[in-house]
Amino acid sequence: MLRYLALKTGRALFVVWAAFTLTFVLLFVLPADPVDLLFDPAEVNTVPPEVREQVAASYGFDRPLILQYLARLGHALSGDFGTSVQSGRPVVATILDVLPSTLLLAAGALALALVIAFVIALAATSARRAWLRDLLEALPSGAVSVPVFLSGILMLQIFSFRLGWFPAFGDTGARSLVLPLITLAIPVSGPIAQLLVRSFATEFRSGYVTTSWAKGATRGGIIVRDVFRNAGLPALTIAGITFGNLIAGSVITETVFARQGVGRMTQAAINTLDVPLVQGTVVLVAAGFALINLIVDLIYPLLDPRLRAALAAG
Amino acid sequence: MSDLRTAIERATPRRKRWPWVAAAVAVLLVAGGGFALTRGDASTGRSATAGAPVRGGTLQFALIDYQRSPDPQWGTNYAESLIGNNITDKLTWQDPDTGEITPWLAESWEYNKDLTEFTFHLRKDVTFSDGSPFDSEVVKANFDQYVHGDEKLGINPNGAILLPGYIETLTPDRYTAVVRFEKPLASFLQASSFTANAQPGFLSLSTLKLSAEERTDPKKVIGTGPFVYESWQPQVKTVLVRRKGYNWAPPALKHKGEAYLDRIVFNTIPEASVRTGSLTSGAIDATLDVGTTDEKPLAEQGFKIIYRGVSGTSIFFNLNSQLFPTDDIAVRRAIQLGWDREAVRKTVLTDSYSVATSVLAPSVPGYVDYSGTVLRYDPEKAGRLLDEAGWKEGPDGIRVKDGKKLVVKLLGISNLVANKPAYESIQQDLKKIGIDLRLTVVPIPDYTALLTKAKTDWNIVAANRSRNDPAVLNLQYGPALGNGSYVTKDSPGIDVDEVTRTLGALELTLDPATRKQYAKAAQDLLLDKYALVNPVYNPSQVIAHADYVHGIIFDAQSRNHFVDTWKSNGK
Repeated sequence: MLRYLALKTGRALFVVWAAFTLTFVLLFVLPADPVDLLFDPAEVNTVPPEVREQVAASYGFDRPLILQYLARLGHALSGDFGTSVQSGRPVVATILDVLPSTLLLAAGALALALVIAFVIALAATSARRAWLRDLLEALPSGAVSVPVFLSGILMLQIFSFRLGWFPAFGDTGARSLVLPLITLAIPVSGPIAQLLVRSFATEFRSGYVTTSWAKGATRGGIIVRDVFRNAGLPALTIAGITFGNLIAGSVITETVFARQGVGRMTQAAINTLDVPLVQGTVVLVAAGFALINLIVDLIYPLLDPRLRAALAAG
Repeated sequence: MSDLRTAIERATPRRKRWPWVAAAVAVLLVAGGGFALTRGDASTGRSATAGAPVRGGTLQFALIDYQRSPDPQWGTNYAESLIGNNITDKLTWQDPDTGEITPWLAESWEYNKDLTEFTFHLRKDVTFSDGSPFDSEVVKANFDQYVHGDEKLGINPNGAILLPGYIETLTPDRYTAVVRFEKPLASFLQASSFTANAQPGFLSLSTLKLSAEERTDPKKVIGTGPFVYESWQPQVKTVLVRRKGYNWAPPALKHKGEAYLDRIVFNTIPEASVRTGSLTSGAIDATLDVGTTDEKPLAEQGFKIIYRGVSGTSIFFNLNSQLFPTDDIAVRRAIQLGWDREAVRKTVLTDSYSVATSVLAPSVPGYVDYSGTVLRYDPEKAGRLLDEAGWKEGPDGIRVKDGKKLVVKLLGISNLVANKPAYESIQQDLKKIGIDLRLTVVPIPDYTALLTKAKTDWNIVAANRSRNDPAVLNLQYGPALGNGSYVTKDSPGIDVDEVTRTLGALELTLDPATRKQYAKAAQDLLLDKYALVNPVYNPSQVIAHADYVHGIIFDAQSRNHFVDTWKSNGK
């Protein structure tokens, strides 16, 4: 059991370190020189060389690559990710400024996506008419096909500009969360709903359900008592993919709804080659991925008795 | 996929049609909804007659960009310079119509014959919002840090490019400041009024002592301007409140006392349709960054469209004079003559923009109109010039000389919405006279990366430079400075010293008549004699606002000042 734990944790740490190193390499392999991007492009050719050197030195861009990498890695291990090249604020502070907003959006969207997915799966399984069932099963594909910016803008046009029910931009409490949550939840719910519909259907056909039928259980009783728990487990496996969908979708949602967030900040940081800020964000996302997968790996034995037995034996 | 019972009851599964029907219904819903929503209803705005200014109210303003830091001397993007203009003041104010330099924080000034020493006599009644006085010590401290930076505090030399050759600022008495330079810098007078990127707005002595990180607390950034910071939320909004006791707006504006508005909220809205939707629904009062296709619908709904052309150079094609084939002057002239200005004006631009008639924008003093001479559409003459230079038409319509095809590679920026369509229109026209123009129009970071190799890789660099002074031509094209057309001794047929002399003359005098002469000589050289530039169009800053908003000012660099702005409803 301990070996299982150590292995999973070690793998998580490796992922985070690899993300850190890869970002560093990529940002320097790109053709743009980070020092050039600190100046107005119209004036970059007129910058006197002493000014350029002064600016490069103050950010440490003039030292050899390997030394820059080791210095950054060393600081990162102690929690110091440097200062943002664009604003001069520490990276950690800049990310912590916008993180709560994104976490709120992501957590809310995930919860709503789960609800939507379960409702679709339950409805599809309980439906007695074939045409209704088929229609519901087609919905997850539809949900993933609608681009986030299109659905977001359409909802804004209807609910914000025409009806005036919700604010169109900014962050003024619960009301400004509603539209972004719905927009982000729709594509995220797609894969989860698809998976749940399939696993519900599989479980419905399995042997223990037939036994329950034979014992006289109602359709509703079977769904709630037997199928629910068993079918829900595979959804945990795609938690990592879901997290990725949330991050990707949050960039566009935050742009359309003009919200503060990690997604938008990362996009701006990449555009301006703000190396410390990009690294900080990538490490954060990689750590998030690794943590979620680690938690899922650790929870599985608790939820599935078969795995518990296998681990105890092995 | 049916449960056991019904599977037994049914023999054949049938389901394949439903996903298609569901998709079709969804597509129809989305298309129908979108169609219905974009039918704009002609809503009438409240008719508000401009009368006497009303005090009070909050202006909700929207723009596409956001401030990355509240420090106005550092800010290089549009939002940063726009907001910086309303919390700091400059020594002088440039008249947006005539280009003349008029008093602001400096009541009067003199300069020596060599244009290396500028003496400013400051107003005596100016104070910062923390009560500290504005005097020559403040000017000295600001300029010193602005040009040299401060490594310990993490402040960059933000002003080194605007004030090249700065030596020091002397303070002979409390309200006199003498700024000294190593070499003649006629453009310094305009630079003292500069309101665009990394502007020389004055910060209090207490602000200058703060590090870059400490200046991210907006309450600590103290200026003399008509507004002060209330809050700054990165990526979301910046809020300014009125400065009590402000009484030194530029005399040219004829505005007495404080600003009329109580507050201004600058909202960052990255999505164009959300900006216009917020304006039409009344969530905001005015917005910048209006797209060309939005102008007409907004005007029809009763909103006011105001604009000003960006002052400086037009959007130009800088022709690389030492790279084949643009090292041949016949090719350069053919590019100037080979495209239809009317087509671009009708299909790409709106009334807020204009086709370029010189490398300078019309609002820059010294601008000369070349639309009748070298900057017109004359494909026959262009074809003749190429024929005479030995460029024969090849089998695919592209001209060939000595076995090499006439391929011209262009590097441009995709930041302005009219750029790509305008370049594509030129590409089509040039193809008809046998020039193969290849476009690479990319976002700013990619552009900056490729620009470093422009001398050897790109025949044309397409960009512009914002600076309302004819000396911008020297900054942009002077062989020792920007050298936009890469004029070197390897450029055939070009006298490098002549170029340096003609363009450099713009820094040597402030006499308006002489300056005009030198500006004409510079434009003649760049456009006619050596055909180093092909100007395309003049970009504009466009604002759409509700009809109850009045008094938004565009300054000489097309930035906005809100000291004179008021709302009819005073809310």
